[in-house]
Amino acid sequence: MPEPRIVAVGTSPIGRTDLTGRDLFSAALAEAFEGLPDPAEVVEALYAGNQSETYEHQIMQGTLLAEWAGLRNVPAERVEGCAAAGALALRHAVEDVRRGTHDAVLACGVEKMTAGGTAGATDALSAAFDRALEQRSGITAPSQYALLAQRYLHEHDATEADLARIAVKNHRNGAANPRAQFDREVDLDAVLESEYVAPPLKLFDCAPVSDGAAAVLVATPEVADALVAREAQTVAAGVGAAANNVAVAERDLTFVEGANVASETAYGEAGVDPADVDLAEVHDAFTVCEALLAEAAGFAPRGRGYESALDPGERSEGWTDVRLSTSGGLKARGHPIGATGLAQAVEAHEQLTGRAGGRQVEGADTALLLNEGGVADAVTVAHVLRRAA
Amino acid sequence: MDESRKRPRDRGPLSREDVTADSPFTLPGFFAELAEGRLTGAACSDCGHAMVPPRPACYACGSRAVAVEKQPRAGEVVSYTAVHTPPPAFEARAPYTVGVVELASGARLTGRVDADYDAVAIGDPVELTVRDPGDAELAAALDHETDWPIHVFEVR
Repeated sequence: MPEPRIVAVGTSPIGRTDLTGRDLFSAALAEAFEGLPDPAEVVEALYAGNQSETYEHQIMQGTLLAEWAGLRNVPAERVEGCAAAGALALRHAVEDVRRGTHDAVLACGVEKMTAGGTAGATDALSAAFDRALEQRSGITAPSQYALLAQRYLHEHDATEADLARIAVKNHRNGAANPRAQFDREVDLDAVLESEYVAPPLKLFDCAPVSDGAAAVLVATPEVADALVAREAQTVAAGVGAAANNVAVAERDLTFVEGANVASETAYGEAGVDPADVDLAEVHDAFTVCEALLAEAAGFAPRGRGYESALDPGERSEGWTDVRLSTSGGLKARGHPIGATGLAQAVEAHEQLTGRAGGRQVEGADTALLLNEGGVADAVTVAHVLRRAA
Repeated sequence: MDESRKRPRDRGPLSREDVTADSPFTLPGFFAELAEGRLTGAACSDCGHAMVPPRPACYACGSRAVAVEKQPRAGEVVSYTAVHTPPPAFEARAPYTVGVVELASGARLTGRVDADYDAVAIGDPVELTVRDPGDAELAAALDHETDWPIHVFEVR
């Protein structure tokens, strides 16, 4: 079975832009294919992660983005799983290369979230919740996660300030990442004094609304070696995916079981333990998510995931030395929904190939990506990436 | 009376003929019962798990041996928050309180809580009530949803 390699990556600017979805994709593709042959000479299939057609009133994203890449009459399709769409696209690319279906597949993701303003994004995102009982109760994305946060603070020895420290840490990381939507740090008071969006979550506990695209080229070792040096490649060593219930009420509010299953599956395929992971890009759409995912991924003891904001030496016993959300995470790098899972792969790829600049994790060898869709673990996709050389 | 109305509702919809709009295993059937004041759920015959609304398979164990079971209206608050940035259809009501409630049967569901955020706490006893949708809610409803009632939890 070919061991899929990540050959090249790119992102568009992330944030509020005057570009449309296809233009954002063009920017990400241009970066990924800099110095490479045209996509038509390499790419055999395309998967496009995209949350919602309501932003731009456009479906057929697979065909459209293939066309914009110069690909004609190849398999190309949109994949959907709310905010997990990007990692679902990556998973399809990895599986196609593993099975030998294709030698090179482009996984991409795009979202033009600012098109309908905050109200448009709120409404489009609410489609991820159960229509029968949740949507008709006026639930929003922040309030769904607030239900998790409220219960987390109730069950564990954690405070709103502990969650705020995660936002402070991720803004600090984002300030060191040229790709990030936010380029400035915030202090604890700024987070704690920001307005409640859905208590206990405040504005600065939440990832922003973002435009953006990302592109990741996955190929067989033969194709990868023909295109770039081994040092510029990473290996997709493990993949896991799990769908849990749609309704939040029917899930464990303080343990994201689906994320646990997905990460254990990916670890098993890669032959690694949580303690082997040097860095993790987790789905911190809201600060509490990073705490929950650190626990589900086996990095932290139950109830201590909120210590992700602390340096490894300051965390409770039972924590690994993993660094979380070195890109700034969804919180500060930005969260263009369908592109987010691939933006996570971009950060891990840069870290594992030693090109992360001022935020480089020394000696980084193994990374975990955890991308979620719906609310929390309604669907989770996990990837383990490793250095290729 | 047609055949489907006579059929006892003691098992999941295991044949295509069972899936009718007056079966509580479908959303039209569930909301028709709710509009009459009856909260229905499904109980798994294999593991005992209770689910609202009813569905054709148990998510706890995977069994399709599920039976419709009337649900208690009483429960307690498992978690709660207040929505300060509502979807367009709910703008006039914000901020409003929502919560996850566990019914006495063990089934869990989300709903609005008819109390100020500051007046609610985890563990509070609540009771499910139903009302007709308001104008803004009707405007946001799809054609097949206009007769569906809105469920609201009242603190007891």
